[in-house]
Amino acid sequence: MTKYILSLLLTGLLWITSCVEETNPEFDQRSFTKIYDNYLFTSDFLPIDMVQTTDGGYLILGGRRLSNSNFTGIYLMKVDKKGNFIKEVEVDESYVNPIAQLALISGSYYFFCMDPLTLQAQLVQLDSDLENINVTTTSGDLYYPSAMQPDGNNLVLLTYNHLTKQSIIAVVNTSGTSTQQKGFTIGAGDQVEEPIINHFIRTGRQYPFEAGRIPSGLYYFNGFYNYTFSLVFTDLNQDNPNGVVQGIQDDGGLSAVLPLTSAKFAAARFNFGDNFILPNTTLNTTGISSSVDLGGNTFPELERNANMRILRTQIKGKNVLVYGSNTKSKQIGLYFYDEANGTFLTSKYLGFSNPFEIAQVISTEDGGLAVCGTTYLAGRFPRICIIKIASEDIKGL
Amino acid sequence: MKILYLLTLAILITGIAQGQPPKKRSTQTFNSRATNAPGGNFLDKQWWLGLKAGANLSSVTIDKRYSAISPVNYPTVNTDKVYDEFNAIGSQVTLEVSFYYKGFSFSFQPAYRHSVFTYTNSFEWSDPENANNQLTLTYASEQKVDHVETPLIFKYDIIGNKLRPYVQLGIFYSFLINANKSVEVSGTDYASGGVNQFASDPVIIGAKDLFADNYWGLLGGVGANYNLGNVRLNLDIQYRKGMSLINATENRFGSDRLSGIGEAMDDIRLNNISLSVGCLFPMRYLASGFKTLDQR
Repeated sequence: MTKYILSLLLTGLLWITSCVEETNPEFDQRSFTKIYDNYLFTSDFLPIDMVQTTDGGYLILGGRRLSNSNFTGIYLMKVDKKGNFIKEVEVDESYVNPIAQLALISGSYYFFCMDPLTLQAQLVQLDSDLENINVTTTSGDLYYPSAMQPDGNNLVLLTYNHLTKQSIIAVVNTSGTSTQQKGFTIGAGDQVEEPIINHFIRTGRQYPFEAGRIPSGLYYFNGFYNYTFSLVFTDLNQDNPNGVVQGIQDDGGLSAVLPLTSAKFAAARFNFGDNFILPNTTLNTTGISSSVDLGGNTFPELERNANMRILRTQIKGKNVLVYGSNTKSKQIGLYFYDEANGTFLTSKYLGFSNPFEIAQVISTEDGGLAVCGTTYLAGRFPRICIIKIASEDIKGL
Repeated sequence: MKILYLLTLAILITGIAQGQPPKKRSTQTFNSRATNAPGGNFLDKQWWLGLKAGANLSSVTIDKRYSAISPVNYPTVNTDKVYDEFNAIGSQVTLEVSFYYKGFSFSFQPAYRHSVFTYTNSFEWSDPENANNQLTLTYASEQKVDHVETPLIFKYDIIGNKLRPYVQLGIFYSFLINANKSVEVSGTDYASGGVNQFASDPVIIGAKDLFADNYWGLLGGVGANYNLGNVRLNLDIQYRKGMSLINATENRFGSDRLSGIGEAMDDIRLNNISLSVGCLFPMRYLASGFKTLDQR
């Protein structure tokens, strides 16, 4: 019997010394949900873009409500790799309307905003710790910055020129100098301009403006051209676009576009409120075509004309396209597709209880994903949130 | 782990079966504790088998605090959960198998334990320029968690009489069976043109993934056995101190429903006070008329 008891005790000790839960800092940064709250009743914050910094933390570009301006103020926040708040900067009200992206070039981060009085685009340079923030006025007639994407050491910028009523696509260097630009008319008449201005003062629909460059190829912008919200391809030399994927005025068009090769794209489109995902599509970069003809997988669960983000990344060794959008049930929906053939792989829904809206989805250095968005604390206070997802938590890949 | 648990139980049952006396002895011998009497040495040993049940109260020890809310302009401590201590009643049912030897008992007491603990989070939004712009919210959470426990306990009978008080020390290992959480949101909205007090119906959420599959702890306590006829009535009070975390650190933010309202489990250890009553039956050395060695 004594042997039995000793055996039992030994077995018990083995149980106890293994398989128990311990605080693990690794888990703290692998997956988390963080909501950055401000106690002020009247404060509104909206995230615009997020990047992961070299220290594993996250840098967030956001907007904030200004009491003395119709435009959105600039809000910057740094959090650590576990999502804990470190620092915030409310940039002076003399700079407004920040736009995505936060571009990393030579160790500095860049984004565009504008002067609320002159409406001139401004280039902001900052470091990852938010210690130094420098603003440079861009050269050239670049007003109302709408979208930006880096191209090597340059920045491809889409602006709206309210004087000439043109969508302007420009290549701007990190000194703020426009080295190349071309304008394309939005069409004559105030009715065409009105929704664009409403976009900037956030009293109207937020359009999915985009700008970029096909790898070593044509430049493109997703914006207004000739009375229609269109995807326009240009070499920045010809006065007319090389190619146009037309929408239907502002009722149809592309809601996101990401070049995969010179002709192959991951895209999403909207059409009178409906949303379609096109994970593997060919767009005509020359000539005129229509977005309606692109077809795509319909997603009735998404809200009307849904905000759409596309991330090209590798998860669990697989090349995937991650589409992020907002559902009618006020969750953030992530849809995963095989990049090679556009096959649907899996989906994941984030957020519950309070409404959640997506701003950006990025891949992280540990192979996971981080989603930056807005949630409404108490159902009413817009606050920035980050949802970090470990790759192990994405089932079905 | 469940297989090991069953294996342990099987070994114990085997031990009990082997503990039956091979041949009958006289009644006179069984009822005497005199060591110089024939067979007296055997009378200092006894197996007891019984069942007991009762209520328990829980509290938690916080190892590290977590919250899904990260304040940017107010102290982080404002997001801390406020735990209530020993205020919600749980329950347990225990099978007791004890081996008694000269005042000492070695006891295995597998139990099904339902523990409950509660806490609140409060948040407030205000406007220094307009006192009417104010909202307070309180999330009252009730956490219910079920474990199967496998404690090994040493007892010592302080005095040996008909009423036999004892002290006990032991160790336990628990396996998670189920867990759920109910959250009730209430608040006061001063911005509605009046004082608008509101409360929602509780939302009950399955929370098993938020808890560790197992944890261990130490226990101590007091109790008393009362010899009634051939059986013992037992009153048992135990304090359990959790020595490892009961929450799953990997799934802290695993519930969208909870993290969506700013909820994330702290790293906590569970402590528990339990009171049980039960009845124990002797398993060996029964005399005719079921007299036990305690009959003097």
